[in-house]
Amino acid sequence: MVKAYKQEHVYKHPWERVSAASWRKFADPENKRILSHILEVDTLNRKLDTETGKLHTTRALTIHAPGPWFLHRIVGQDICHCVESTVVDGKSRSMQLCVVRRHKQQGGDWISSIELLTTKNISLKKFIEVEERIRYDPHPENPTAWTVCSQETSIRIKPLSALASMAEKVEQKCAEKFMQNSVKGREVMERICKYMEAESAPI
Amino acid sequence: MGLLKKKEPTSARSSTSPCADLRNAYHNCFNKWYSDKFVKGQWDKEECVAEWKKYRECLSEHLDGKLLTRILEVDGELNPTTKQADLKESS
Repeated sequence: MVKAYKQEHVYKHPWERVSAASWRKFADPENKRILSHILEVDTLNRKLDTETGKLHTTRALTIHAPGPWFLHRIVGQDICHCVESTVVDGKSRSMQLCVVRRHKQQGGDWISSIELLTTKNISLKKFIEVEERIRYDPHPENPTAWTVCSQETSIRIKPLSALASMAEKVEQKCAEKFMQNSVKGREVMERICKYMEAESAPI
Repeated sequence: MGLLKKKEPTSARSSTSPCADLRNAYHNCFNKWYSDKFVKGQWDKEECVAEWKKYRECLSEHLDGKLLTRILEVDGELNPTTKQADLKESS
């Protein structure tokens, strides 16, 4: 089962500022209160291509996502780790982010009994996977002053018939949560952009 | 909790990561470089190298092996060659 949700938003700020704000989004302590589900952000890897102006970065995000009881029961934990890969193309002015978040089964008793019922050794390890793709590009109508953000979230649930109806509910909850969080994320982005605009304004 | 070994999730709100200071130093340097140079087309030179090195050393020292493996599993599927190699190399 895969469900995808698309969203688009126009920032009335230039791409340079919006992409810079995206880097600051999770790190700023002020925003940490709003984006309280983000616990830690660590940069694991970075690579700058000095010829082409491409910047590749990998970050690890630790997220607190308590969710509904049945999700907790399945997943067995409410902390999840995500990997965020970002490619910024300085030449063409584009920023692409991909966040993969995977909930893994933690060997709860409920899962174990389901596992026993299945004849083959079906791995439940990759149970729920959420993939988020975000792009920041200059707005086609106003490329020097505006930025368009397109965001796509796909939620993939392992199709086990015994869990299908449960999975459906989980999926729905996940989607709701993501929608809420992406609104919050957008507010934070707007605020950082405004702050950076003021900061860069000539005195 | 982060990637680091910690016992109580309550401690996670304000980061108690032993690398927090080094991480902030690096991220501040990076953000400044990104806004002041990179987006203006000055990408001919890698910067914040010293900050990055110190931060990475701290991370590889304190990363919880199990969590790191989990993260690399996800990462490996995104980009099987480059990223894992890079992490191994510096740990």
